[in-house]
Amino acid sequence: MTNLVNNPPATALENDPDSKRNIVIETRDLCREFGTGDTLVKALSKANITIERGEFTAIIGPSGSGKSTLLQLIGGLDIPSHGDVFLDNKNISHMTGSELSDFRRDHIGFIFQAYNLIPVLSARENIEYIMLLQGVPSVERTKRVDMIMHAVGLEGLGNRRPAELSGGQQQRVAVARAMVSKPSIILADEPTANLDSKTGSELLNMMKELNEQQHMTFVFSTHDPKIMERARRIIRLVDGCVVEDERKD
Amino acid sequence: MMNNTSKTALIKPKVSAKNKIGKQLTNEQKNQHKSLITRLAQRSIFRNTRRTFLTILLISSSLVAILFTDAFVKGMVNTMVKISTQTFLGEGQIHQRGFREANDIDLYIKDSRKLYQQLNDIKEIQAYAPRVLTGAMTSSSENVASTIIYGVDAEKEAQVSKLKQAMTQGKYLSGIEDEIVIGEQLADLLAVNLGDRLVVTVSQAHGGDLSQALFRVSGVFSFNERAMDIGMAFINLSHGQKLLNINGVHEVALRLHNLEQADDMTLAFWQTLNNESIESLNWRTLVPQLSSMLAMTNYSTLIVSIIMYLLVSLGLINTMFMSIFERQTEFGILLAIGTRSKQLFYQIVLEGLFIGLISVIVGLVLALILCYWGSLVGIDYSELEMSGLTLNEPIYLIIDITSFITLGLATLAVTIIACIYPALHAAKLQPSFAMRKTY
Repeated sequence: MTNLVNNPPATALENDPDSKRNIVIETRDLCREFGTGDTLVKALSKANITIERGEFTAIIGPSGSGKSTLLQLIGGLDIPSHGDVFLDNKNISHMTGSELSDFRRDHIGFIFQAYNLIPVLSARENIEYIMLLQGVPSVERTKRVDMIMHAVGLEGLGNRRPAELSGGQQQRVAVARAMVSKPSIILADEPTANLDSKTGSELLNMMKELNEQQHMTFVFSTHDPKIMERARRIIRLVDGCVVEDERKD
Repeated sequence: MMNNTSKTALIKPKVSAKNKIGKQLTNEQKNQHKSLITRLAQRSIFRNTRRTFLTILLISSSLVAILFTDAFVKGMVNTMVKISTQTFLGEGQIHQRGFREANDIDLYIKDSRKLYQQLNDIKEIQAYAPRVLTGAMTSSSENVASTIIYGVDAEKEAQVSKLKQAMTQGKYLSGIEDEIVIGEQLADLLAVNLGDRLVVTVSQAHGGDLSQALFRVSGVFSFNERAMDIGMAFINLSHGQKLLNINGVHEVALRLHNLEQADDMTLAFWQTLNNESIESLNWRTLVPQLSSMLAMTNYSTLIVSIIMYLLVSLGLINTMFMSIFERQTEFGILLAIGTRSKQLFYQIVLEGLFIGLISVIVGLVLALILCYWGSLVGIDYSELEMSGLTLNEPIYLIIDITSFITLGLATLAVTIIACIYPALHAAKLQPSFAMRKTY
């Protein structure tokens, strides 16, 4: 099914209370502009997107199309110039800094292209970092870290620092870190871009499996055909505009 | 479109600032946060070992410089006061009122016996030395010189001043009537040696008749102080009183058990020794130029401290900013995954605290070693003249534990304060901007 987003598809969902309960991400007329006057660049223009719980979505488009900007705005890492972002039915666009920090900590998991682990912490400490911020008790933390390390195939590597791990292992730690606190949304920006094809596929299979088992919502920004193959929904951006929104049955 | 109720719910989001597990953070959870921040700070400072080492070196060497200056200034003050008071002045002096201002030999303490009895009863006074003094013309067969003749009690004088120790030739006063000891430079000026004759001409009290007496040079002294060595001569007290035709003394120099007693003019004995006929003054009043110079000297530590602390602050701010710019992406990640700005702020301030703590410990140890060495061997400024005083003995550094504690804590405080600006900068980072380098 292909949907051109010039006619946003949200109306049907909004009128259906059951569907509304399932919406975890909603953007309304979301715009992001950089610079002023002659140097004004519209990185994102009136993006209206709704993503339901448990969806495995890929945002695709050429470089500079606004994929990363959209992901940053959805993740509360950037402030929109206009429009609103609703996550779990909460408008995050007007939250204070600490409210937003707490919201990200409790509801969003991030996976970045460059892994972005904390270099001074071991793999295990990187994974449990968010739980420490959340105040998860020690016993519970240990249990969850052990489980997720097993799930992502990092057993025996817990005490290694990121510099002592391969790219694939580091990205597994990043995935584990993003998922261990059981967020409702995982935002992944080009997660396989720095990985070889085999490792990338393994990692995607693992994420897909976790998505199906735990019903976490995954949103990818990507050029990777492997992600596009696995995604149940593909949103295409061109010049900051959503031009296509395709759901696979 | 959404109905009104759900719209309100979306427009007024209330996200709990509390943790996900419980409503309020428990003490254990707060401790977890502290432990996490501490661990990150501890590990981060040794990420770039060379830079951290250089920063520690900068702070600790500044602390060493400040403490060395403090110990040196204290040592110098102590030396100068010691030279000033112990050489000849005494920690205090008693005169007949008006004598110091008018320099009139008629203004002498008449009832000196009663005064001596009083002085013997004051426990703060270790020793005292009565003196008569006047300007005189001293003539040899070769030359004439203007001098101040002091008549002193040889035994008592030896307990108060360093005249006896300053003897370089001949012997100290022994009570023989015609003996006189003069300074080395005066002996050169008058071209006299031991045993040579000198004629001293003075104006007597009670009328101003001229009086002359013949003396033989029995000893030569050197205080290493030009003004004293060329301008002073000493005879026995009884001979001086006879020469001046007085039955009393002009001056009684006091040696106290400690210098602090001289500085505290509220002590009872100072009141006892001040009445309508006599005045007692401490060394600060007797040599005001030295007192004010020393007061200024104390500012030197403050000035050095301010300069050093400024350098430390700028150096540390620079280091912390370099460190922050280097780790900007990492801070972006920490903020992105839920670290609060406040926590990031504390982490950076804590890094500053750790660097400061290490620097202060290193600085204190180095300063202690250096100052201890300086307190043993001293720093020789022989012949250097300051405020009319010749530094004729080395300056021995004085280690003041209070200064070590105070300046150590001040350095720690400066390092923490210097970290606030970079920490605020890091805490205000926008995650998307901070991660832009690699995101």
